[in-house]
Amino acid sequence: MSATTTFEEDNITPARRRDPLLVVLWVALVTVAAIWVAPFVFITFTAMKSNSDVMTTSAFSPPTDIAWENFSGAWKKGNFSNTFLNSVIITAVKVPLGLLISAMAAYALARIRLRWGRFLLVFVLFGAMIPFQVMLAPLFTLVNSLGLIDTYIGVILPYLAFGVPYQVFILHGFFRAVPKELSEAALIDGASHFTVFRRIFLPISLPVLAALLILDFVATWNEFAMALVLLQNKNMWTLPLGLMSFQGQFSNSYGQLNAAIVMTVLPAVIVYLIFQRYFVSGLTSGAVKG
Amino acid sequence: MATVQVRDLKKSYGAAEVIHGVSMDISHGEFVILVGPSGCGKSTLLRMIAGLEDISGGTVSIGDRVVNALSPKERNIAMVFQNYALYPQMTVAQNLGFSLEISSVPKATIRQKVADAAEILGLTSLLDRKPSQLSGGQRQRVAMGRAIVRDPDVFLFDEPLSNLDAKLRVRMRAEIKALHQRLGTTVVYVTHDQVEAMTMADRIVVLRAGSIEQVGAPLDLYDEPANMFVAGFLGSPSMNFLKGELVPGSAARMQLESGETLALAARPEGVVSDVVLGLRPQDMAIDPERGTPAKVMVVEPTGSDTHVLAMIGDTEIACVLDGRPGIAAGEMVPLSFASDKVHFFDPKTEARLTTTGLSRAGAGPA
Ligand SMILES: Nc1ncnc2c1ncn2[C@@H]1O[C@H](COP(=O)(O)OP(=O)(O)OP(=O)(O)O)[C@@H](O)[C@H]1O
Ligand SMILES: [Mg+2]
Repeated sequence: MSATTTFEEDNITPARRRDPLLVVLWVALVTVAAIWVAPFVFITFTAMKSNSDVMTTSAFSPPTDIAWENFSGAWKKGNFSNTFLNSVIITAVKVPLGLLISAMAAYALARIRLRWGRFLLVFVLFGAMIPFQVMLAPLFTLVNSLGLIDTYIGVILPYLAFGVPYQVFILHGFFRAVPKELSEAALIDGASHFTVFRRIFLPISLPVLAALLILDFVATWNEFAMALVLLQNKNMWTLPLGLMSFQGQFSNSYGQLNAAIVMTVLPAVIVYLIFQRYFVSGLTSGAVKG
Repeated sequence: MATVQVRDLKKSYGAAEVIHGVSMDISHGEFVILVGPSGCGKSTLLRMIAGLEDISGGTVSIGDRVVNALSPKERNIAMVFQNYALYPQMTVAQNLGFSLEISSVPKATIRQKVADAAEILGLTSLLDRKPSQLSGGQRQRVAMGRAIVRDPDVFLFDEPLSNLDAKLRVRMRAEIKALHQRLGTTVVYVTHDQVEAMTMADRIVVLRAGSIEQVGAPLDLYDEPANMFVAGFLGSPSMNFLKGELVPGSAARMQLESGETLALAARPEGVVSDVVLGLRPQDMAIDPERGTPAKVMVVEPTGSDTHVLAMIGDTEIACVLDGRPGIAAGEMVPLSFASDKVHFFDPKTEARLTTTGLSRAGAGPA
């Protein structure tokens, strides 16, 4: 193809010409993605290699024969059935409950005229600004004085307290942006505030809720510091605590260690894969503007 | 009987009062339109009737109940909003049936009523669509359908047509009017569009800055506006106002501020000197014999008639001339007016002055 025809083509379909900025952005995106994926590939591959393979092959070469026994071995040695169950219980209670409380609070603050509404909102948001690390010691004292150390509820309550403000902040912003005529129309149609919340607001905020659910699930599932302080009994430990203890004991059985990491991360990945389609489809369908 | 009675209604936001004691009586089955410029309080008034806005003073009664303290759902009203406020995640059928569903009407009845409403509004083929898959006009119809399935005592409309294009607006105007004739329900309808008000209303309430200026049947307001505001608001293009002084003597003559003298076939009752003359653009004509010379500024042919903007002295005059007079900008044309259709206003109070006809017909320069 001669230079002139290329030139003409460019003139006819200017949209097809490659914008140099776009190319740069693409390169940047691919680089970032590669940096992110590299440890993941490394961990997954290593988890499936026997210890001798780990020593002899490159970190990024795929395993030749898959060492499934890494997983079962790590599961047994690390007492994973116990820590896994604890994590499941705590996350399964905390995440939906926290999201529900946040959503209801955000609705009330955004749509019901309350005398102290503004003050309450500021008060709740203030909670999101306190780094929980500085609260660890007083938190321990408080939970201890309630006799809730080494109980599920003793972890779930602080998790809720530290998780709700941020979610209220996000959901309040979202609910405020919903045209007020929408709730007014429903109120005229005879709905109570609870019905408006459940039938109108929850469905249209599905994308946001899905995003918050993913974030909160990952944060709760991986939470380490508070669990370390509040759960002293080994039998009450969550996965991150179990993983750390496992790492301390078996730091040179690379295969099993990485198998343990994969097993810890896998539920978060699954939850992400299940719920991401809600927020992707929600974001593209223009749910609110309808 | 669903009458609506508003007594001395007031609304304040903090220290600012935006509705200053409005009273009106709407009888059963009446189509009343609240009209006025932007920010005059139409929506606020309607929302107070609906129960969406707290009442700062006065009472609202629907039927024979005072509803001040009742929530919107206890008032048995239906409202159509400017942006339609359709529930985005529900289908058209679910949108229509929502109010029935939450008052636990049996499923079969809901289906029947939704089907009936869809039939009336021509939505039957769209029942399974989501609002985002509808055109503006169809959404508007769904919003109306949602109102009619409830069989309410009163319909409240807040500028329901202002998001539609001009053609569709004309059609929906006719459809809403037909719907009202068919259902016979009381309607309170808010618009800032005087054409909508003139064409649809049984009675118009003209509001300005939170107070009622005048209430009456459309043509009564058009023919006998209480003041310059109402006269200028109703009718399109707006009425021309010419300031001047009546020349003393029996024959009515008026000297404009710019110096021209007009002969009139009527004059205000009593002894007055300073007046504002009100002329509808439609009452103007080109008349080589008796017309006042005016300089043509803009000519806008609409096909059936021609809108002309002209200057008499330094006063701008809008005219709607029959047909295609074949004039161009920059020309001088002799303009006359049907002098029995003039209005006089008091320049200070802006109130209309009653006129007495004079024997001599026709008008023009003296
Ligand atoms: N929440 C509020 N706080 C303070 N002032 C308000 C509030 N809502 C409305 N107003 C004022 O009340 C007046 C009436 O508003 P309203 O919405 O009723 O006007 P409108 O006649 O419906 O106008 P439009 O034709 O533009 O819809 C306006 O001057 C507006 O600024
Ligand atoms: Mg309004």
